[in-house]
Amino acid sequence: MTNVENSVVRFENVGMRYGAGPEVLRDVTFTLPPASFHFLTGPSGAGKSSLLRLMYLANRPSRGVVSIFGKDVTQISRRALPALRRNIGVVFQDFRLLEHQSVFDNVALPLRVAGGNEEQIRKHVSELLRWVGLEKSIENLPSTLSGGEKQRVAIARAVIGRPRLLLADEPTGNVDDAIAMRLLYLFEELNRMGTSVVIATHNETLISRFEHRQLHLDQGGIEYRQNGAGSRDAASA
Amino acid sequence: MLLQRSDLPLSDDPAVRILPWIVGLMVYLATLTLAVALLVSTLTANWSAGLTGTVTIHIAVINDESEAVMNRRVEEAIRLSLKTPGIDAARAIPSDEVAALLAPWLGDEAPIADLPLPRIVDVTLTPDSTVDVAGLSARLKAEIPGAGLDDHQLWRDKLVDFLLAIQVVAVLMVVLIGATTVTVVIFATRSGLAVHNEVIDVLHLIGARDEYVAHQFQANALKLGLKGGFAGSIGGLLTLIVIRYTASELDIELFPTHLFQIWHWPVLASVPIIAASIVRFSARHTVLRALRRMP
Ligand SMILES: Nc1ncnc2c1ncn2[C@@H]1O[C@H](COP(=O)(O)OP(=O)(O)OP(=O)(O)O)[C@@H](O)[C@H]1O
Ligand SMILES: [Mg+2]
Repeated sequence: MTNVENSVVRFENVGMRYGAGPEVLRDVTFTLPPASFHFLTGPSGAGKSSLLRLMYLANRPSRGVVSIFGKDVTQISRRALPALRRNIGVVFQDFRLLEHQSVFDNVALPLRVAGGNEEQIRKHVSELLRWVGLEKSIENLPSTLSGGEKQRVAIARAVIGRPRLLLADEPTGNVDDAIAMRLLYLFEELNRMGTSVVIATHNETLISRFEHRQLHLDQGGIEYRQNGAGSRDAASA
Repeated sequence: MLLQRSDLPLSDDPAVRILPWIVGLMVYLATLTLAVALLVSTLTANWSAGLTGTVTIHIAVINDESEAVMNRRVEEAIRLSLKTPGIDAARAIPSDEVAALLAPWLGDEAPIADLPLPRIVDVTLTPDSTVDVAGLSARLKAEIPGAGLDDHQLWRDKLVDFLLAIQVVAVLMVVLIGATTVTVVIFATRSGLAVHNEVIDVLHLIGARDEYVAHQFQANALKLGLKGGFAGSIGGLLTLIVIRYTASELDIELFPTHLFQIWHWPVLASVPIIAASIVRFSARHTVLRALRRMP
């Protein structure tokens, strides 16, 4: 049973639209318990990125209630947002790396923004970059990296702060299966330490290889699936 | 702090790149304008305190009186003046000097010697003392026929008014220069915010506070403000020194630099520091205001 009070993410009848456009999400209701691991699936344009935007507090719902770490996002003041966001790691679909900064500085950013100790930062960032196989590119600018390498920088930046919630938008879109597996292991490692993970992906190989629950989006609505079986999961709804 | 790594490539923005030049020019103008205001304020203080003042006693010729009678009245006037506390000296100006003073107005051909010229006594006041000029004037009128006192008060009041007006204009100019600088900084900062909107968005999503983003802008603005400000200040002070030496070389009081007081120099030297602080504050304020309006 999911404890609503302890939920990491909770959506209740959420609707979302961009400006005056049509609703891209309709009546979305689900709850993510702590330390859960979900794939977010669905056809292109189904609203996966939009759902993630609501979770990382880039957009507010146009109706319904979104709660993150038990807090209703419409009740959160602007001043309280940064502290909340430091507990959320995001891998953007288009990476959004800072182009004029080195790989190291990009990955160090969340720690620096939070006022971390420079010596600790150096140690953690180097370690993580070794893990994702980028130790040789540590001083390079993102523009000199391949798509897959950029993606790994983006992932390293998202996980460096050991967030309570990790949101990844197509994090394996540009890497071969071997690296994709390695990155998934990284996410699982984080998940074992208590992070709730949501990965939006089209990668069927990954979905079948890793037996995690699925949130399936279609035409703005959501459906729970266990291992791609398509059965609604009443317990979590 | 100034050499720290920046998350925003602010130094690449064209609007930001011209900032030191603008601040430099503004500081240059402000330094010169302020120098004028300071000189004029010393001048005004001197004049309104009557420190540079002398008073003049004039004694009119009374019909056909003899030279000796006239001289007696002049001596009496000198005696009265010297009895007044706060008066250092009183000196009768010889007739030929009076004639020489009047010559430019009367022309060379005028038979100056034949004219009934008034006699003039030049009275020097002790610096920094208050003299009962009105009392002296009353006594002169009462005791010496044809005598009168001119303390140049009217002329001095007009001069002081004029000097005050110059100061007001100078201060207004400094304020305008400051306002222009602030406006330029606001626009440069806004343009920076627009150019780096994407990066700022990422910083926010990663958990940066507005304060963190503002810090990047204000640190950069302070650096550029100091750079331009000191260049402008050095230029301004050099200009003052050059004017001073040229003026003394030419022996003209174009710019009465001897009126500079020691404390004026630190005031002038503080202009770039004040300017850089204003630049920093304007940048910070602009960023925080703009960010507060973001979702
Ligand atoms: N910034 C935006 N402004 C307006 N409409 C948008 C915006 N972003 C997305 N949309 C619309 O919202 C709908 C859902 O888009 P979204 O990016 O969430 O889909 P997605 O599931 O992530 O697709 P993909 O698998 O291709 O990444 C689409 O119809 C899209 O046109
Ligand atoms: Mg998407």
